[in-house]
Amino acid sequence: MSELLERRAIRLAEKAADRDEAIRRCGETLVEVGAVEPGYVDTMLARERSISTYVGEGVAIPHGTLGGKELVKRDALAVLRFPEGVDWGGEPVTLCVGIAAAGDGHVELLAALAEILLDEDQARELREATDPGTVIRLLGKIQEDSE
Amino acid sequence: MPTRTVAVGSASGLHARPAKLFVEAAAAAPVKVTIRVGDRKPVPAKSMLSVLALGAKQGTEVTLEADGDGADEALDGLAALLARDLDAEETSDV
Repeated sequence: MSELLERRAIRLAEKAADRDEAIRRCGETLVEVGAVEPGYVDTMLARERSISTYVGEGVAIPHGTLGGKELVKRDALAVLRFPEGVDWGGEPVTLCVGIAAAGDGHVELLAALAEILLDEDQARELREATDPGTVIRLLGKIQEDSE
Repeated sequence: MPTRTVAVGSASGLHARPAKLFVEAAAAAPVKVTIRVGDRKPVPAKSMLSVLALGAKQGTEVTLEADGDGADEALDGLAALLARDLDAEETSDV
């Protein structure tokens, strides 16, 4: 958990004019924490054009294509919140979980994220989080429960 | 009730793109389809979040269930989709 989602990869007051810029911000965050090579960001944009990563409840999970895996240095997540919202192909998105994954080690965490979003109250708490500690608590708690 | 049990074929498991393709196909089916892992609670196959919450990886066996007219055909199609490696087919439609 702590390896996958670092506090410095949680940014809760982001701004983006459109979907592509939001994805770039997610990708740049993954670059900054040393999880991916800069080229990974373009594969995230390519993936999104292929198929939307919107999952529901105002949340999208941008990630690279299969070809982008070789640009992943280590599995990691970035959580970016866009309080003003971003138009995601007609859906309003306020939270992006950027994913860098070379294997399938992040599947449990994604499942935990989905569990949270299926719970109306926890989904709102995550969408409205202004403190990285809240995000770590929400994502970490379910992770522990599932083990 | 008609059921199909199939091992997930996609390299990255049943999330992200393979999950999206599966959910879209399930939503287009003429009958309500559920999906579950082992003895866990069946969830709606057309709900992206429910499918993601399964946490199914490549090789995880999932069971599909549906009832009504066209259930068998719908399940055959969805089971075949799950069994394929949808990640490997990505380059063809990017």
